[in-house]
Amino acid sequence: MANVRFTKRNIPAAILIYVAAIVIFLVSVFPFFWMLSTSLKLPEDTFASVPRLIPPRFTLENYKRAFSETLLSRYFLNSIYVASVVTLVGVILSALGAYGFSRFRFPGRNFFLLFILCIQMLPSVVIIIPLFIVMRNMGLLNNHCSLLVSYSTFTLPLCIWMLKGFFDGIPRELEEAAMIDGCSVGSAFFKVILPLTLPGIAASGIYAFIGAWNEFVFAMTFLNTNELYTMPVGLNTFFGQFTVEWNQLMAASVFFTIPSLIFFMLVRKYLAMGMMSGSVKG
Amino acid sequence: MRSQEKMSDKERTDNTGLIYKQRKISNDWRLIPDGKQQRTSVWETLGKHRLAYAFILPALIVVGAVILYPLIEVFKISFERYYLVEILTKGASYVGLANYLEILRDPEFWHSLGITVTFTAACVILTMLVGLAVALLLNLEFPGQKLVAVAILIPWVMPRVASSILWKWIYDDQFGILNYLLSLIGFKEMASFPWLANPSSALWAVIIVIVWQSFPFIAVCLLAALQSISVEIFEAARIDGAGPWQRLRFITMPLLRNILGILTVISTIWDFKAFDQMWVLTEGGPAGSTMILGIHTWMSAFAYLRMGRASALAIIMLLLVTVVTLLYLKLFIREEDDNG
Repeated sequence: MANVRFTKRNIPAAILIYVAAIVIFLVSVFPFFWMLSTSLKLPEDTFASVPRLIPPRFTLENYKRAFSETLLSRYFLNSIYVASVVTLVGVILSALGAYGFSRFRFPGRNFFLLFILCIQMLPSVVIIIPLFIVMRNMGLLNNHCSLLVSYSTFTLPLCIWMLKGFFDGIPRELEEAAMIDGCSVGSAFFKVILPLTLPGIAASGIYAFIGAWNEFVFAMTFLNTNELYTMPVGLNTFFGQFTVEWNQLMAASVFFTIPSLIFFMLVRKYLAMGMMSGSVKG
Repeated sequence: MRSQEKMSDKERTDNTGLIYKQRKISNDWRLIPDGKQQRTSVWETLGKHRLAYAFILPALIVVGAVILYPLIEVFKISFERYYLVEILTKGASYVGLANYLEILRDPEFWHSLGITVTFTAACVILTMLVGLAVALLLNLEFPGQKLVAVAILIPWVMPRVASSILWKWIYDDQFGILNYLLSLIGFKEMASFPWLANPSSALWAVIIVIVWQSFPFIAVCLLAALQSISVEIFEAARIDGAGPWQRLRFITMPLLRNILGILTVISTIWDFKAFDQMWVLTEGGPAGSTMILGIHTWMSAFAYLRMGRASALAIIMLLLVTVVTLLYLKLFIREEDDNG
């Protein structure tokens, strides 16, 4: 819309726009920059009376020590394992579900769709109490299985709605043509439709991965062995020590943020779409 | 569809099992409900749509087992005396509404509810205002606009726990950059202000972190909505003499009304649910000043191991969320209808 052309007339407007833009930019970027900067500083420089924005002496020591002196690599592998399995399971379940919702009209369709949407509104604390008891009875506490099961379920709402959007965008005639050519419904789905929705599958898979990568409450509640902790819970244990090693902690946090950042940038277009659950068709 | 065509001309059945009769009314064949309802059995329905159900069944089974069943359990436990430490020796016993009555009489609950309301309201209002302002700014075209549009994604991308740890470092009373910057611009008395350890500032410190992390989503969604408004409307308004403020007030805002409504409701639910940031930054302290309902409930369950009471708290939280969710569904369905 308002395509601002900077003529002499609206210099004050231009100044205002730039001041606002710079403030927004700094507020968004500075904390992350500060994390990065602290992670590359020597402890002496970190606790200097006049903090420096750019580390006066760069060091990777904090990263090395975070890995050698803590269980960070263990946490990292645990998180990778949990997030990968969740991605796989979540995507398979939601691709099937989304296809069903997109292609068929059956009694209860709208109800189920809205019900699934509502799951997202559920506070984790509400579901975690009974789930803890269920997991305890099944002997799954302090076991990654409990996380795999709960994370896979909680990725379903968004993945199903997101993928349903993608399936809706593919004309039915494609499957009909495939079926006339002798495909069964199953093979039409796997051979014709699935390849076409690969971007959607990838987007929802990455969403599932990020979700599992970031999740904290379930992991904190279900796990109680240091060796099993995922990244968020593991990082939070750094505070249990007498003095907080801020440099190491920032290094670990950078390391924790990077995968999320990379994946996010790949799918940000779809993510906003999915989070709005198809309600913005812009 | 096909099954309908095969039926006789005199009698038809629609999907809901209602029988219709065709009757000639003023030279026109009309379908008229017959009055008696013939319900197709559940099995018939399932059989007719078995392919559809086969696709959605795996997801539904998982949802049923991991969400629906536990929800029924939590409802049941909320009427029980259920201490995790004595469950093996004594088991749980039915106590009726005792848990609920205890909660409603407990000043700590009302205190926690009050904090939750303040917290949620402040987060939602600030997030929406900042998000809207950023979206309006990014909707202007100026050199560097793309850079800012990508930069605002950073707070959103950061894992909640990572950003909370980072802000804990920023808020640090001794070496935190915030106090240093404040003392630089003249607030000397703030040089070692304990943001997270002071009961009057801790809640606001967490609110700032939440707003910092959630405004990008709002801004991105509103920007998408803004960019879908056609340019012609603004051109027409400009020609008719509407200034920028009037265009915002009378064109942009009314067109954004639906989406603003949906986003406000979503934010309300999200901020009501917020847990991670609060836990990492304050754990409900100092002196219970950030004890939102989520933390309160979690502590009852897993610090005091009182599952019965915690379940009752969870049901109360669920009721509160349900009210807001119903509002969301209403808005959401209206928006879907408008679009499709």
